[in-house]
Amino acid sequence: MAIDRKRIIDALSRVQVSADDYGLIPAFNVFVNQLPCSFWNSFAERLTRQVGPEMLEAAEWLLVDAARTCGYHTGYGIITSEEWKAVVGPMIEKVPEDILHGAFAVFTAWGWAKSEIIELVPNERMVVRAYDYYESDVVTFGRSTKPSAYMITGVCAAFMGLAYGGEYDPAGGAAMRAFDCVQTKGIECGDEYGEFVVTRAQN
Amino acid sequence: MAVRTKTEIVLEQRFDPRACRHSLNGRDVVLHCHHFVSLYTQLADDCALLDAKRLLAEVAEDAFGAALADYYAQHGINSIADRFDIATQYYAACGLGRMHVRCAGPDSGSVELERSHVDEGWIAKWGQRPEPVNFITQGFIGGMFAAVMGRPPRSFRVSETASIVSGAERSLFEIVAQ
Repeated sequence: MAIDRKRIIDALSRVQVSADDYGLIPAFNVFVNQLPCSFWNSFAERLTRQVGPEMLEAAEWLLVDAARTCGYHTGYGIITSEEWKAVVGPMIEKVPEDILHGAFAVFTAWGWAKSEIIELVPNERMVVRAYDYYESDVVTFGRSTKPSAYMITGVCAAFMGLAYGGEYDPAGGAAMRAFDCVQTKGIECGDEYGEFVVTRAQN
Repeated sequence: MAVRTKTEIVLEQRFDPRACRHSLNGRDVVLHCHHFVSLYTQLADDCALLDAKRLLAEVAEDAFGAALADYYAQHGINSIADRFDIATQYYAACGLGRMHVRCAGPDSGSVELERSHVDEGWIAKWGQRPEPVNFITQGFIGGMFAAVMGRPPRSFRVSETASIVSGAERSLFEIVAQ
């Protein structure tokens, strides 16, 4: 059985997200939260717009790195969770490629981005397209002067690191930083979709 | 003394299969985890570019304050007690923890956290630390007080005076009008 994106999205988007008596949501080996998209977007947009052009790259790096670190550890938590084993596990034939495709189906089900891998050269390069993503909501009129999908950029790099960066390292380290990602298109910039190109890190 | 009945929040959680987006009571929400919250909190704490701790609290105040004010208007929630009931249940529905409003008035208030996603997530990731980390809840409380009292954002200053992340049994926030 190959990866059935629709089935994964159907199943995992229905996972009941409800807090326990203490207001906590344990699932997928992590504590989950469901916060307004506007909260995350406002922080990233105000941060990157307030620091000024000379510090923009540094601010963007911080946001992408937070997402990369989250994507690496949470991605590992997801692909080792009972929920994953029950829904995605039986579909996996080719490792790690099927795991990567499955991970982007989960990525979609969680509401991070309606995204899929459109090109994958194992251990070298991956191109991801996102057809709808909350980070594009920073613009409601016109076109942004910069791409804003820092979370997707970081998580794409992290997922590639999980697949081809070597054994999972709880401390992060080289495996987590084995790949870099660049956002080459963005809905917020007027493109039809967001596009994310992941390649081996240069240093 | 009459026993007050708690006002229960109405939660409408939906997934739009076309856009693949989740919503809670008509507002787009996204599922993230304690790693992401901890990393954004660390980013805010470490950021030398500007006062990002304040920025994180302010965006929380804006986002949650607007969500609560909308809810009160749509559901006709008018009493202060009912509004706090709704706010603390909304905080829990977001997965942020269990909050108790100990007292509140037009000029001040006090809030306790029995459980905290932000503090406990931080401890799970990096362990305890002496300084507070819960800038998101600081902002939530500022937005909550503004929405409950019908005041604009930044009407209240919120200070965290005891923290679960520092080993306290409960986090404590003191609120004062400004």
